[in-house]
Parts: sequence; C-alpha cells; structure tokens
Amino acid sequence: MDTTDIEDVLRPLAPQVLGAVIRRFGHFDTAEDAVQEALLAAATQWPTAGRPDNPRGWLITVASRRLTDLLRSEQARHRREDTVAQWTLADERHSPATDLRTSGTDDTLVLLFMCCHPSLSSAAQIALTLRAVGGLTTAEIARAFLVPESTMTRRITRAKKLIKDSGIPFGMPAGPDRAARLDAVLHVLYLIFNEGYASTSGPTLQRTELAAEAIRLTRMIHPLLPDDAEVTGLLALMLLTDARRPARTGPDGELVPMAEQDRSRWSAESITEGVALITDALPRGPTGPYQLQAAIAAIHDEAPSADATDWPQIEALYEFLMRISDNPVVALNHSVAVAMSRGAETGLELLEDLAADARIADDHRLHAVRGHLLEMTGDRARARDSYLAAARRSTSLPQQRYLHMRAARLVDDT
Amino acid sequence: MKYMILLYGSQQDYDVLGGTPTDKPAMSAEDIAAMHALMESFHQGLVDSGEFVDARGLTPPVHARRVQLRNGAPVVTDGPYPETLEVLAGYTIVECASFDRATEIASGLVNPDADGEYVDVRPILDGFEDLAV
Repeated sequence: MDTTDIEDVLRPLAPQVLGAVIRRFGHFDTAEDAVQEALLAAATQWPTAGRPDNPRGWLITVASRRLTDLLRSEQARHRREDTVAQWTLADERHSPATDLRTSGTDDTLVLLFMCCHPSLSSAAQIALTLRAVGGLTTAEIARAFLVPESTMTRRITRAKKLIKDSGIPFGMPAGPDRAARLDAVLHVLYLIFNEGYASTSGPTLQRTELAAEAIRLTRMIHPLLPDDAEVTGLLALMLLTDARRPARTGPDGELVPMAEQDRSRWSAESITEGVALITDALPRGPTGPYQLQAAIAAIHDEAPSADATDWPQIEALYEFLMRISDNPVVALNHSVAVAMSRGAETGLELLEDLAADARIADDHRLHAVRGHLLEMTGDRARARDSYLAAARRSTSLPQQRYLHMRAARLVDDT
Repeated sequence: MKYMILLYGSQQDYDVLGGTPTDKPAMSAEDIAAMHALMESFHQGLVDSGEFVDARGLTPPVHARRVQLRNGAPVVTDGPYPETLEVLAGYTIVECASFDRATEIASGLVNPDADGEYVDVRPILDGFEDLAV
C-alpha cells in the first residue's frame, strides 16, 4: 500500500488510539508522544511489512510499549534528580466518575474537549487539537502556521503539560461546562478553517491543507453530536465557503472578490452538501451564529451572479446575527448587505457608525469595504485613499496586491 | 477455602519477557510462546478440576500509581517503585480443599529455570468475621 493510503488509515485512528492509551494508563502528555511515535512506526513499517489485520490494535500495542519506555526514563530521571512526580486529584474527580466510559461518547470527542481546555490559549488549543486529534506532526503544524518547528514544539509541550497538571480526568465535562467547552471546540475548528481559508499572514492566500483538516475534523464530530444544530451549521458553513475556493484566486495567486468570481468554478458538490446540511439544521434550532453564517453563505452560493443575489435576505440574516453576537465584523458585513440592497450611501452611513468601534476602526477590512462603497457612489478619489489605507493595514501579501490594484485602477482612468 | 497465589517480578523481569536483555538473558519469541502455552494448560487443569477462580497479570510496575492523602486531599505518585524492586506482577486465585493443596498448585507456578524464584500463597478471608479467629 502506498503512503497516501496509509495516511488515510492512520489519521482517523490517531485520536482513537490516543484516547485508548490515555484511558488505560493516563499521562496525557507522554501518551501523546508515544502515540506519535507509533504513528511514525506505522508510516515507515507498513509500506514494506504490510498493513496489520487490526491496525488500531497494532497502534495501541506499539504506543503502550513506547509509553512504558518513556515513563521508565522519565521516572528514572525523577529519581536521579530526587524529584517525585506527584499530583493532586482534580476536584472534578470527586464528582461522578467522568472518566467512566459512557455509551455514545467517542474518544475522539473526549480528546477534542480536552484539547480545548479553558486554561489554554487559542493558539495552544489549535496546535494541540491538530496534533492530538488531527494526528499531524509538529513539523506539519509549524509549517501550516509559518512558525519555526522549535516554537511549535514549545507551544505544544507547554499545552500538554498544562492539561496534565490540571489533573482533569479523561472524560467529557458535565453540565454547563459541556456547553461552554463545545463552544470552544467549535471556535477552534472555525479558527483552523479560517487560518487555512483566509491566511492572516504569508505570501499565499490559502493554506488549503488547514481548511481541509478543519473540514475533516468537523466531519468527524458531526455524527458524534447529531443533535447539535451548531455543529451541523459549522460544517455547512465550511463546505459552503470552501466551495468558492477554486474561483477565489486568479492564475497568479491574486485575490478575486466574490462579485467577479467565475461561479462555474465553484464546487457544486460542496454546495449541494452544505445546503442540505443547513436546510436540515435550521428548523431544528436553537439557531446559532454558525447556522446563520452558513445560511448567508448558501444564499451567495446559490445566486447566479452578485447582482442577482437575494441581498435583502442576507441583510435580514446579518441583522439576526448582530442580535446574538456583538461582533464588529458581522456589523461590517451587514453594512455591505445594506449597501447592496438599499444603495451604497445607506451602507456608508452604517460604516461611519462602525468606524467609531475601536475593535475594527483600524482593521483593513473596514477600509476595504469603504473603498468599495465609495467606488460604487463614484467618489473615486476618496475610494482610492480608502483602498490604500486598507493595503497599509493588511498583513497578507495577496490582499495588499489586490488593494493596490483597485487603487491603481482608479488612477488610470481618471 | 480460597487462596491467592502471588507472583512477583521487577521491571527488569518484564524486560526479559519483552525481549530486552538485562542482567538476565532475554526470552526469545519461542520461549514466550512456550511459557504462555504452559500457563494456559496449567490454568486449564485448574478449571477442569473445578479449583480455578481467577488469574490475572498486571501491567509493568512503571504504570503504577500510589495514592496518599495529604491534608485530606488525595495525592498521586506516578511510578513509585524502583526498577529492581520485586513487586506484585500477577495472581492466581484457587478454591481448593486445603492449604496444602493450594501450596501444591502454587509449586506449579514457580519458574523451574530461575533459581531462587518464588511465589507466595495466602489464604483469603471469607469475611471480617474471620479476623476474630
């Protein structure tokens, strides 16, 4: 079997194997190292030795053996240094045994919830999720986030230690904690997707492997939480956004705005799947931000052209979204929808109110939108200034190139 | 009466089983297979005679956790045993006619190839009442 086949087998197994090893032996941090080594052993041995009959069992055995070795050297070091590895049981432990396997709870989900522990920063949650649940190597994660491998190693090591030291048992959080943690899990998946789709830094606009990984992970948890409409909404949102990827960049890697994209290049398959998901989720409620964003994406994806888009409905959905989340980016998108449905002047008025919000006043997106709306009204000089202001504030090279191009176009034909 | 036969081993003995050479030579795959076959037929014999209750092996001592209370709070120590310390590695529980019969059974669990190796036999209490005797 070739390497790609083996990766396809290994990646979904990674969290299951890690879950089994932690459940049995504990040691979240060391177990995670052991599982990575087992995955590596599989990737190097299976192509020649052949795939074992029970890949999961093979990986658990190899990882457990490796864990024993790692623990021995760890404990020997502790004894040499005369430090004893002691820890206190977490208070959570005294509540009903949360690490008892409850039916219907998949280890993948438990791990995902652990990786999104509130004591970790978003960056740490993301890195740990990609490694422990996604089965990516530290080198791959470092490459995806354009940081040196040593930086990523430190980030992951610290995160694992924090989880271990927190003493939280291997299990799903209970009661209100569970809902809060699910929010964190979905947010982490959303951030991974966004980092892949709209890279915040670096020379290329899309790091598709991160977006694909976010979709894969969300697909993985979707059947595990079938009753949660927001999980379905998030998966739909990712698919409906990713569907436009083939048309989003031009031949030279430049950004193509949605209005100018060749819609025949959008992925019909992803749109069909995304629309089906969101159609199924919306009536089930409660309606959350991911479902609303997916609904908006669906309207865009199903419109034959930018002009033929149902802007009033998009405006209404953004209004709904503004009511449940105080997010200036949502307000920015709302002003675009208003401009499209009721005229650029009305949109610009909303934009001026928004410019007073310190959270977004200096964001390149605000200035880019203002440029577009001013261009629509025919105020070319001020539109050009806004594009240039946006370019100065963007950290993405393709976006900077696009904004400069828009500004230059306004000079050329004056 | 029930009796527990206790088998001991150090982390190094687990290495020998795992094929890692230590002070003692490592066991080959054939040795291990032969040992498994022997244990299986030994325990099957006890099942057949109706004396078998339970038999279990324990994971390597490195995986042990020691739990103590400090100011009332449980404190856990990972891997509390030194590498060479002989600790409980497994047990067989039998229900048989007498201590002597249990001892006879236990003799079948001592490795004949390892000089000085031993197992212990302990009668199991039926209940707290037994303690009064």
